[in-house]
Amino acid sequence: MIDFELPTELALLRDTARAFAEGRLRPRERVSEAERGVGDELLRLHREIGLAGVGWPEALGGAGLGALAQALVREELAAADAGAALALDPLGAALDALRIFGGDEALERFAAPIVERRGARALLVYDAAPHVETHSGLARGTIAWVPADRLDLVVVLERERAYLVADALRFEARRGAGLRAAGASTLHIDGAPIVAEWVSTPGARAALAAARLEVAALLVGVARRAAEFSRAYALERVAFGRPIAHHQALAFQIADMAGAVEAARHLVIDAAWRIDSGLAADEACATAFVECVEASMFVAPRALQILGGHGFMQDHPVEKYLRDARALGLLAGGVDLSREDASRAIVASRGAIALAADDPLEGIEA
Amino acid sequence: MDLSLDDRLRQRLLRVRELGRSEMRPLGLEADRLGRPLPADHPFFERLVALGLGRTRWSGEGEAGGAGGGGTRAVVQLAEEMAYWDRGVAVAFPGPGLGEAPLLALGSEEQRERFLGPFRSPDRPHWGALAMTEPGAGSDVAAIRSRARRVDGGFVLDGEKSFAANASRADWIVVFATVDPALGREGHRAFVVERGSPGLGNFHVEHKMGLKAYESTSFTLRDCFVPDSNLLAGNDPSARRSGFSGALRSFNSTRPAIAAMAVGMGRAVLDESVAFARAHGLLRSIRVQDRLERMRRKLRASRWLCLRAAWLADLRRENQLEASMAKAIAPAAALDAAVAGMEILGEVAGRGDTLVEKLFRDVKAMDIVEGTGEIQRIVMARRLVGLPRDTG
Repeated sequence: MIDFELPTELALLRDTARAFAEGRLRPRERVSEAERGVGDELLRLHREIGLAGVGWPEALGGAGLGALAQALVREELAAADAGAALALDPLGAALDALRIFGGDEALERFAAPIVERRGARALLVYDAAPHVETHSGLARGTIAWVPADRLDLVVVLERERAYLVADALRFEARRGAGLRAAGASTLHIDGAPIVAEWVSTPGARAALAAARLEVAALLVGVARRAAEFSRAYALERVAFGRPIAHHQALAFQIADMAGAVEAARHLVIDAAWRIDSGLAADEACATAFVECVEASMFVAPRALQILGGHGFMQDHPVEKYLRDARALGLLAGGVDLSREDASRAIVASRGAIALAADDPLEGIEA
Repeated sequence: MDLSLDDRLRQRLLRVRELGRSEMRPLGLEADRLGRPLPADHPFFERLVALGLGRTRWSGEGEAGGAGGGGTRAVVQLAEEMAYWDRGVAVAFPGPGLGEAPLLALGSEEQRERFLGPFRSPDRPHWGALAMTEPGAGSDVAAIRSRARRVDGGFVLDGEKSFAANASRADWIVVFATVDPALGREGHRAFVVERGSPGLGNFHVEHKMGLKAYESTSFTLRDCFVPDSNLLAGNDPSARRSGFSGALRSFNSTRPAIAAMAVGMGRAVLDESVAFARAHGLLRSIRVQDRLERMRRKLRASRWLCLRAAWLADLRRENQLEASMAKAIAPAAALDAAVAGMEILGEVAGRGDTLVEKLFRDVKAMDIVEGTGEIQRIVMARRLVGLPRDTG
């Protein structure tokens, strides 16, 4: 029976994340952006209140919660500062990749050292082209942009394999289109020794799905915040004798923005629930990613527009939300590849196309 | 948190599918071809009644029906499935129809028994109907001009009503009229006008772009006497007010169902388009894939919006925003799907004899009935930014 009620545990977790995000991240969103980081104090606090370890297994000192829990936390943090959300998470989707490909042993060997050293960070990089080539146990190549100034471990994910590099990484600082709180650089991999390598197409798909879901949840947060900020502004700002929110042209925009956020969020919940329920989720994650990218590029520009000239100025955060959202959507292989993967089920289908979890019409000839 | 179907609903959905495949879709296509609604004496309706369909959800035990225990969620999912096969045929189903909600919200026990009682276990098809819309009053409900004049023992109604589903075959029609146009909504009264009432007539079955399987009927009321016993909520203004707000609240569970019908129609477009693309070697085209992916993604998100609004309704929580959101978004997603589906079929769609083309004509209505997309946005904006009622 369909039931959207969050279990108490998850509702409390979401509230904790929201309080932290609004109380700690939002007040310094421009500072974090300028300093390209969140600072030790916030890293410590984020870890202490248990937000960092939501998805980590207990062996790593985490809570061992599932995809839905992580999605909820990511949405909340990104609703304050998506760059900070990335900076605060030492593993991100690298955790999922390590778990999917290498199980507990890989987590113990590669994730644990990251978790144990505060400020250390691993990142999953999806390299479809590939831009990095491997030869005789060494990796060589360039990733044009990573949202980081420094990394201790890079999980390079391709269509059919993943490998790890940790040394001989060179970071060429970039300004970054957005997400600057996480840093921004061009990553040069200069003959880095491959520390581990796994080959598995299903594994690669699942890892990519996890990476997409991470980004999708962050995008919901940014879009929600942009919608909410502009909604509040539109109630304050008066033009032609009334709050601009009470002009139908804007009122309808505000309604459509709220709808776009909610629709995107439901696809994230759908995908996360499928992962947690052990159902096939790769295609659901790809679908959620595409929708979240589209929704964020629908909502954030309109949010800025509602502020008019003020929106274009950096005194207000909306231009940052627009840049952050745009940058997020470029991660995890980007939207075109995601569309392709989301289409796979359609191309392979024999009968009616399932829309939802355990659709009774799935695979039945109409 | 649970996003799965329970087995009972799954079984009901599978039964709808059988009925849909064997009867609803062929009948819908036939009605579309012939350009006229299924006649009231069509044997299909007899079969539906024999299957236990066409009944009221009123239990007859005092309580105003309502949809406890997952009711709205089930209604929404069944509505989606029915519309997948044929939304026009689904609306033509016997039953109290849209007249049921005002009877439940405003009717006395005696009135429910008299008008809904025959729908408890009917031995032949019966219909009820609702008439709100007028030639000059659609979304602006307050602008209805049909007049109700007090006379000895009741009221006399005069006016014109438009686009009322199943009205010419209905045993009764719940008609909204005003005792004084200057009073706006305060002046509105709901009357049950029974078939054969003198002055009720000029039934005209409209010619529609799509959804031809059911009748959308206009009619007139000329000196039409309605006894006091057929006035809903009697002369008790507070009961009437709470009843009207109850009737409006009923939209909060019917809107998600209408939105879900759009999802079902969009799904039919999607499946037809995939089948066509496969048969014609188009599935490898990235452009075609992108269109199909978008169709499915938007429909999927829409389905969740419908279910969320329905879930809130089942918990009797505030869901006005969510219900309107689903209703604002799903019909547009379904129309987009139909537009793209026609592009995939190309000139074949231009012939005007394919299911996708029919769905394209059918689905536009979903953004109009039960509150247009614009009205939904007004409702949403009231919740989101307190949009004042006088905003022009």
